[in-house]
Amino acid sequence: MAAPSMAAALAASLPAPQAAPTPAAPTYEAIPASMSKAIDIEAEIPLTCVQLDGIVITKILKHSREAFSTTAHGLLLGLDLDGILEVSNSFALPNHNSDDDEKATKSIARYQQSMLRSLKEVQGDDNVVGFYQATSLGAFFNQSLIDTQAIHQDRLRHGGVVVVHDISQTARGNASFRAFKLTPAFMDAYRRANFSTAGMISHRLTFASILEEIPLRVRTNALLSSYLNTLATPSTSTFSGAHPGVATTSALPPSYSVLDIGNMGLTKNLEQVAEAIDNYRTEEGNVAYLSRQIAREKLRAETYVAKRKEENARRVAQGLNALPEEDVSRLFRIPPEPSRLESMLLLGQVDAYAKSLESNAGTGLVKMYAAKASSGV
Amino acid sequence: MPMRSSSSAAYIQSTPPSSNGVPSTRPTSLTIHPSALFSILDHYLRRTDAQHRVIGTLLGTRTDSTVDVKSAFAVLHSETDEQVAVDMDYHRAMYDLCARVRPNETIVGWYSTGSDLNTYSALIQNFYSQETAPNQAVHVALDTGTEEGKGAGVKAYVSSPVGIFPKPENCVFVPIPCELRFHEAERSGLDLLLSPNPSSNQTDLDVLASSLTDVQNMLNRVLAYVQSVLRGEVVGDKAVGRYLMDVLGTGVEEDGGWTAGLQDTLMITYLANLVRSQAEVSARLALTTAA
Repeated sequence: MAAPSMAAALAASLPAPQAAPTPAAPTYEAIPASMSKAIDIEAEIPLTCVQLDGIVITKILKHSREAFSTTAHGLLLGLDLDGILEVSNSFALPNHNSDDDEKATKSIARYQQSMLRSLKEVQGDDNVVGFYQATSLGAFFNQSLIDTQAIHQDRLRHGGVVVVHDISQTARGNASFRAFKLTPAFMDAYRRANFSTAGMISHRLTFASILEEIPLRVRTNALLSSYLNTLATPSTSTFSGAHPGVATTSALPPSYSVLDIGNMGLTKNLEQVAEAIDNYRTEEGNVAYLSRQIAREKLRAETYVAKRKEENARRVAQGLNALPEEDVSRLFRIPPEPSRLESMLLLGQVDAYAKSLESNAGTGLVKMYAAKASSGV
Repeated sequence: MPMRSSSSAAYIQSTPPSSNGVPSTRPTSLTIHPSALFSILDHYLRRTDAQHRVIGTLLGTRTDSTVDVKSAFAVLHSETDEQVAVDMDYHRAMYDLCARVRPNETIVGWYSTGSDLNTYSALIQNFYSQETAPNQAVHVALDTGTEEGKGAGVKAYVSSPVGIFPKPENCVFVPIPCELRFHEAERSGLDLLLSPNPSSNQTDLDVLASSLTDVQNMLNRVLAYVQSVLRGEVVGDKAVGRYLMDVLGTGVEEDGGWTAGLQDTLMITYLANLVRSQAEVSARLALTTAA
């Protein structure tokens, strides 16, 4: 018994193991009600409004105009606060060519990451909340926009928003920025990639129900607005004999370009409408051709099955073995139903072009009557 | 359209020293795009408490005698009483990123908020001149208007070495005129920012209505002035009177094409309505099952 006693003696000589201090049980305090609107961890508060900062507006304007085509797009950065998505910064994404897709998407991802890192170092916002896209004459329904928005909507808090900026309407005098999200019905159909006729009926999808619009407003912080107002105040020249036309100058003189009478935009718009309708008809023709093919294949499959049944019945009547029922689907390949997403998008384009044509023509009408009234005086 | 609060500086056009035989083109004026300006203001707002002023790089294009500043980005820098440090790696990295999106923009200079020019400015100017070699770097000093006694404004400078032995920390900053330049198409965006209650859902007719009320107010003011002159209350200014006669006397006389234009516009409106209803109907039709 020496061993246990020695062990016991050894144990006795060791200092008694101190009771490990129980870690203070973490107390979870509920977020006080006053702060619950600011700290919204689960993204529960739904978005009611999108608020763009002044700097985002100027950057989007500049980028869209410089890109010379409607492929100008970039990311929006900001934060959502109490149901309002505040966008405080944005940056442009380089264009990706449609060839070499793999490399292009990787390089864009790298660009995005390094940009976010750099912005974070100068205390900028680095939280992506959506993306923006420039368009012209109102037609922004295209596949890439929907794809990108669907990806964002899955990954970002509150789903991302896409801000669409219309270059032609801005050039005519009415700065147009609109914010959209994909409707839940469309997201559902997109996830299932089910755009056959039956799928669309079950979701009740028309082109108008793909995107829902979120009201948007513009905010300029106090420094910016005071700076702008300083720039825009006219300063009178100290030269006393100055010609009245140039006596007062300011860095931002008021502009009345919206009062110009002219039909320059209308012909281009008409051409776009005609082109969009042509595209739609081609697409519909393709869909019809495919459906006819499917119907033909189905008919052949059915006649084959019917003949088989008849032959089996005949053989059974004669007392011979029934031929095995062959699997019809292995003999006849029925192509899947074509996706009608493309034709729906094209229809949306047609509608958008027609809408902008209508509003152009409407204001043109008002201006013409106004000019006639003033010249008749 | 000068942007500074009034100053009566004379612009000195001094020829650069031709010691190296290569005449360097010295920019004589500067134009700034609003987005660069707003980026600078935004960076100023986001600075940490320790920084009194912030600096950054200007990107743009240059022609023979003018420099167009198109955009700006912030650069990390720290400034103490003894030394100043600028993060050059950050500057290079950001420039590479920006160059991918806008390949025709190059580094043209640097900006700082706060308009005092001290030795540090000279050192930073030297650094940027190396970046923009062989062209000169411009320096834009932006007054945010938040300090007492200084109005909001923008001043632009080019530098030239001064002193018996030119050292990097001595240079004289020569002011050059600068103005705000933006494309006509971006004008309405700026109007949106200037208006007191910006909401982005105005239709075209709303914008037209507000423009027309502006013109109407202006005409009312001119009318009141002319009537008071006619009544003899105010002595009329002859220059103003002649100017008004020139401007308002020209009238539009031709209404032959008016009816044709009117008919065209009405037809287009009708066509657009037709196309829209057609699109709506066919969208609904697509939802019917094909048995």
